[in-house]
Amino acid sequence: MVDRAGTLTLPAVRSGSLRRDRMATQTLIYVFLIAFAAITVFPFAWMVITSLKDPRDVFRIPPSLVPGLLFTDQPLANYQTIFTELNFARYLFNSAFVATTCAIGQCVTCSLAGFAFARMDFPAKRWLFIGLLATLFVPVEVTIIPEFLLMIQLGWLDTYLPLIVPSLMVGAFGTFLLTEFFKTIPRDYEEAAAVEGANAFQVYWHVFLPLSRPALASLFVVAFITNWNELLRPVLYITNPDLRTVPLALMSFQGEYESAWTLLMAGAVLSILPMVLVYLAAQRYIVQGFMSSGIK
Amino acid sequence: MRRAPITPYLFLAPMVVGLLVFRVIPIGVSFFASFTHWNVIAPPQWAGLANYREMLGSADFWRVLGNTSLFAAMYVPGVMIIGLALAVLVNRKLRGITFFRGLFFMPYITSLVAVALAWRWVFSTRFGLLNNALIEVFGITNPPAWLSDPIWALPSVAIVYIWQSAGFVMLLFLAGLQSIDRTLHDAARLDGATAWQSFRYVTLPLLSPVVFFVMIISLITSSQTFEVTYALTRGGPNGASTTLAYSVFQNAFVFYRMGYASALAYTLFALVGTLTLLNFTLRRRWVHYG
Amino acid sequence: MNRIIASGLAAAVGCTLAAGAAAQETIEIDYFFWSPDRMELEQRLIDAYMAANPGVTINVQAQPPSDYWPRMSALAAAGDLPDVFYMSSGFIEEWQGNGLLANLQPYVDQLDLSDYYTGTFGPARFPDSDTGDMYAFPVNWVGPVLFYNQDAFDAAGLDYPSDDWTWDEFLAAAQALTVDENGDGRAEQYGFWAYGRYAQIEPWVYRNGGRLLNPAGTRLDPTPEAVEALRFVTDLTREHGVAPTPAEMEGIRQQDVFPMGLAAMWVDGSWNVANTRTVAGDDFNWGIALVPQGPSATPDTMRAYTWIDMLAMSPDTEHPEQVWDFIQFMTSGERDATDFAGGMVPSNRVTAESDAWLERDQQPGNKEVILQLGAMPGTTSFTQGWSEWRGYGPADSGGMNGELDEVFNGRKTLDEAMAAFVDFGNSVLTRYYP
Repeated sequence: MVDRAGTLTLPAVRSGSLRRDRMATQTLIYVFLIAFAAITVFPFAWMVITSLKDPRDVFRIPPSLVPGLLFTDQPLANYQTIFTELNFARYLFNSAFVATTCAIGQCVTCSLAGFAFARMDFPAKRWLFIGLLATLFVPVEVTIIPEFLLMIQLGWLDTYLPLIVPSLMVGAFGTFLLTEFFKTIPRDYEEAAAVEGANAFQVYWHVFLPLSRPALASLFVVAFITNWNELLRPVLYITNPDLRTVPLALMSFQGEYESAWTLLMAGAVLSILPMVLVYLAAQRYIVQGFMSSGIK
Repeated sequence: MRRAPITPYLFLAPMVVGLLVFRVIPIGVSFFASFTHWNVIAPPQWAGLANYREMLGSADFWRVLGNTSLFAAMYVPGVMIIGLALAVLVNRKLRGITFFRGLFFMPYITSLVAVALAWRWVFSTRFGLLNNALIEVFGITNPPAWLSDPIWALPSVAIVYIWQSAGFVMLLFLAGLQSIDRTLHDAARLDGATAWQSFRYVTLPLLSPVVFFVMIISLITSSQTFEVTYALTRGGPNGASTTLAYSVFQNAFVFYRMGYASALAYTLFALVGTLTLLNFTLRRRWVHYG
Repeated sequence: MNRIIASGLAAAVGCTLAAGAAAQETIEIDYFFWSPDRMELEQRLIDAYMAANPGVTINVQAQPPSDYWPRMSALAAAGDLPDVFYMSSGFIEEWQGNGLLANLQPYVDQLDLSDYYTGTFGPARFPDSDTGDMYAFPVNWVGPVLFYNQDAFDAAGLDYPSDDWTWDEFLAAAQALTVDENGDGRAEQYGFWAYGRYAQIEPWVYRNGGRLLNPAGTRLDPTPEAVEALRFVTDLTREHGVAPTPAEMEGIRQQDVFPMGLAAMWVDGSWNVANTRTVAGDDFNWGIALVPQGPSATPDTMRAYTWIDMLAMSPDTEHPEQVWDFIQFMTSGERDATDFAGGMVPSNRVTAESDAWLERDQQPGNKEVILQLGAMPGTTSFTQGWSEWRGYGPADSGGMNGELDEVFNGRKTLDEAMAAFVDFGNSVLTRYYP
């Protein structure tokens, strides 16, 4: 914006000294940017470096910044260990399965509800919508205890269900996002479809869903990331090691295995890597999605 | 569009059922539970106001409440100032600026458990990167035991949360900044305002709705501190970083005191709710809607 | 998933057997235990039992210890307890108090107990831990020992700890073993390591003839001998500097400090033999010894700190006789010593005192030290609400654990910390024992 501001100023004041000032300002900005970038990156970098160390090198003072294993014939030894000995592939699968199911499920339930809110009139509509949004303000601490007791009664402990069903069926943010998006779709489309005799579901399915791909993509990635990272529900509901999600597995590694830091950091890298890849591939949708969880 | 009166409800059914089963009914049940003694393995026993009485009379509760407020007092301004600084910094057309924006946001999408564990390793008293850097690079002889020091444990948790969510707040502010009409800013500059003056008297007032919004969500976030606490300090040392949210977890799922935990949860709910409402009431004083 | 396969398998086996035994009635027994890593072993035992008892099917399920109690509490809440399940010293009182355990005394009365380590049986008896009825039957027990680094002792020219080591001798050794070569005030090797954890603190209390609780076990009321022990252990850090503060060790798992060679001695439960073997590997030689005996202990007051893992029967089981038969099978002297890994001691002496259990080919070379604990009268401080007042699991930063860490870290005196944890502990205990 500095440069945009610069182009707007009058040619007369574009003197050499001002240009030097601008150079100085820019340099300063880069210095700040790089400093913040370093703070952002260093825990990740340290994570990666530790995951590439021999367990014996971890507790050295001062710590070495060299990923020592890279110079051996077993550069990925820690990663091999967490796959071969710690069943990490299974945890990745569990997390991927839970997160994908939740994300698809939320896209379905939220778009259905969003369609009703955006395009239909019915008694108590406004009241219901406000009630839905109000649940965003209820701390999870309030609902988790009864939810826990309910899961016990349903006999759902040690299944994927308690990780999926509550998340999938209560997408307040997603419903809000899609309601707002659906409202922007011109009425002409559905009227044309209605003339051809389409019922409400067909309009939803054949008109609204295809037109809403960007919003659905945003919702999908946000739901996926949120559920991938969820810790509290797995802590409460999963006791069977085979059903652990990645965050839960990381927490239990901390207690169960020796020379934990190298393996722990390898696991942490692997838990972050898929999210970073998703982020790089779909940055636009992610940013839009998370932003609309905020701004009205 | 032809449709039966029941059609909207068919569309809403999954959401409404979910809302009832996982939100509305639980909200009621935990309210009821907060008036009982309930250890899960035996049926709940009516306890009247005993849980609330115990809570108000417990030194631990007040300490936890103090920790929760202190955490909010560090986290909310911290994340807002850093988020705003980042937003101002990246709100310009420079080579590579998209890269920086993307980078700053990245911690927000990564698993809190994973980054908290990495930070725990960074914070390690004797073997941690931070303390060794303080000793070797800055010549500090006796750096704090971050996670084991009652002074530093809670700030350490706050640092990790701020580090993780500053990029998100940055994006919210960035959107706000970009919606501000550039000409107002330029006019101020032409009138001789310094960059700071134009930021203070033009940008900030116009940004106030976003500031308000960010404040509300940061406040709510600050009341729900589970993952990082669990992975970093487990509420220690000696309760120095135990917040209300973590206390609910301990009482409910470690001590099996569902009734007492529900009373704590409702207190948390009431506090956050009151603060939010208070903010909404006060916003006319300082929030400018264009 | 494994569970389903396992029970499916078990059911299949059961059906075959039942078909073979034609006329016999089929009895199904659900069995829950912790440590799924022992599944193979348990399955082998169960198969053997079912082969010997046609018509009986045992459906087995396993959860890791940290997850076992939430799961069992859930089953109890749903009124759906398995017929037979593992029970620990820490939870039995609450479970017994809530009527969730069958009284086994009528069966135990018909049993000759002379082959068992009855000194460890206290936690299984109610209402009185000496004379009460048994509500669960011990399978194995563990107790705290002093781990010591033999190489470090050799380097310092010290004799290894003996059974009659005094606290003074222990302190002198710890001082000689604390090595700070670069003189930065942080030893490369400390003589000892401890923090507020129950398994590291209470052994000193009981070996000094002290008690933390009042005789009825309903209030915290540390005896002078207990206070003396707490002072001795915390002074090792505060006064003598022979042990690191917990703050300095932050970032290292507490059970790795000794095997990593950062401290030359350490007191914790005998189950840590397994982890110490893994982490220390061949890095150094180590052994175990009895926790040094306190100056105020008399033969009458000194106690061993042992705690037992038990099998309990649901009061709702339809086949109590069969369940008891199974419990007896699981606790008999016929069990193979290799079923009990590392520092776990089988409740039955016949199995425990076998060469196979002593594992002479592995470190430590003197596992019989653990057995001595079983011959002494034992005690514990477990009560209802124990994890809260003691500070355990995800709450281990609080309670007595958290307060003692304040002392170790030099932020509170022992007297201040004790006043705080006694006060807090009694507010917890008052809820359970009005």
